[in-house]
Amino acid sequence: MDALASTRVAATEGLMELAASDPRVILVCMDTVGVLKADPFREAYPDRLMDVGIAEQHAVAFASGLASCGMKPWVAAFAGFITMRACEQVRTFVAYPHLDVKLIGANGGIAGGERDGATHQFTEDLGILRTMPGMTILVPADASQVREAVLVAGRTPGPTYIRIGSGRDPVVFSRGEPFEIGKIRVLERKGDDVAVFANGYVLRRALEAVRVLATIGIQATIVEVHTLKPLDVDGIAEVLRRTQAAVTVEDHNIIGGLGSAIAEVIAEQAPAALARIGVRDVFAESGPAGPLLDKYHIGVDDIVEAARQVVEKKRR
Amino acid sequence: MVEDIRALEDMARQIRMDVVSMIHESGDGHPGPALSIVDILVALYFATMRVDPRDPSWPDRDRFILSKGHGCVGLYATLARKGYFSIDLLPTLRALGSILQGHPDVNKTPGLDATSGSLGHGLSIGMGMAMAARLQGRDYSVFVLTGDGELQEGIVWEAAMCARTFDVGKLIAIIDFNRFQSGCAIESNNGLLPILPKWQAFGWHCQEVDGHDIGQILEAVRLAQRETRAPSMILAHTIKGKGVPFMEGDNSWHKRVPTAVELSEALAALKDRA
Repeated sequence: MDALASTRVAATEGLMELAASDPRVILVCMDTVGVLKADPFREAYPDRLMDVGIAEQHAVAFASGLASCGMKPWVAAFAGFITMRACEQVRTFVAYPHLDVKLIGANGGIAGGERDGATHQFTEDLGILRTMPGMTILVPADASQVREAVLVAGRTPGPTYIRIGSGRDPVVFSRGEPFEIGKIRVLERKGDDVAVFANGYVLRRALEAVRVLATIGIQATIVEVHTLKPLDVDGIAEVLRRTQAAVTVEDHNIIGGLGSAIAEVIAEQAPAALARIGVRDVFAESGPAGPLLDKYHIGVDDIVEAARQVVEKKRR
Repeated sequence: MVEDIRALEDMARQIRMDVVSMIHESGDGHPGPALSIVDILVALYFATMRVDPRDPSWPDRDRFILSKGHGCVGLYATLARKGYFSIDLLPTLRALGSILQGHPDVNKTPGLDATSGSLGHGLSIGMGMAMAARLQGRDYSVFVLTGDGELQEGIVWEAAMCARTFDVGKLIAIIDFNRFQSGCAIESNNGLLPILPKWQAFGWHCQEVDGHDIGQILEAVRLAQRETRAPSMILAHTIKGKGVPFMEGDNSWHKRVPTAVELSEALAALKDRA
């Protein structure tokens, strides 16, 4: 059983820390105080938690107005309600004027939404946002990294989306690991047979798969791509040139997210054999996170098998 | 500030001439929705708002959002006449590389306070601006000019519902009630009418004026500024295409370019009223 820690609590902890040192930090909720476990924020800064009601489009446009007058609003809700219901508000009133509005999307991925079912499992958010000029997109792997990402994003002006999970999220990193926007992180370089690129809490599964691969003679390099935009193209291309084989692992539709981003680098910069592990363009269903990921082919076995195949393809 | 109504009316006439000329020269744009808002723009920019064209980002300035962004030709001419940028730039409307985009871009045109063009967003953005004022201890007002057709957007009612929660008394909205949307008359379309009772029900401070009577507009705005708790809504009765007889009430001028002959006819009519 994996150790768990809440990415939602971690996000609020990060926000509390930012708010303590900067009176411009505002948390905009849409009846989502409970989602973010943001009661401590409300108690500490009652004037700076603004709950606008169940009205995501209004919330994002409202935040745009706050930011245009020098405030630093953070909008927190379920990932899909920000990126789909309020998609145009994010695009036209946050990204286009390039305002310093931060967006936190909970229930990212099928494991992030787990028992809530497909209406609350979001596997489109990253693909949608990647097409918006000037957006920074962060997919931290666990609670401690969410906290770090919030702190770093808070000090970096510009529109930013941070994807978080269900609140029952596997621990991947020890606390305090620094988070640098726009840079890949090579976590382990056992060898150059294949590169495994992953982000979000499924990074834990990717790490496990790399260990299994070593036992069958495939030495992999595992790379965390926590910043999906701006993508560290040079860093990724450098790894690809060494391995010429890659597997991507993400809890998102394989269309539009990390798999697509790496495929673009492969196509334009560094040819390599590629297999994409992720949600295979279907809607998922309710269920506990672990078995759910297994059922939708984001299991350790799936990653191992994909890696085995791309290595074989490369050698042919 | 110009307090002389006659001088304000002359300015409105000048801006209307700018509007029809700009659309003729650029070969594209929305004359009807720009002409209906000119008197409101003049009342705000030349006799109400605390702004400094030499310092467009002055933090204490009053804000203005043209929620019906397609009326921007009227706003661009107003900003130029106010001194934010040269009137020589007006003919560059919609041209490649111009500071005057087809719809307002806050980062391209000096004097704009918000990007707009996608309908329905002004009130939400304005509410955010008004909340920022309160948190920063500033006393600027936020003016939002919306169309009547755009009130059909759902987000408008999200904002309507939310405004009293935050008691944004500094938010003053004006509806350009010209009774036409892009494709049809407001009456023929859905259950939007009557408009004001809906805002009253959400707790807004409501007034009704003739949107072409600058004196009435100024009086209503002053009353609205005196209201400190409730946000204000002013329903301004206007005529689409106002000032150009052959455009008035003819919705084909929602988006249409006057020919050279039509332009001289329009300019002559506007001069005649002087």
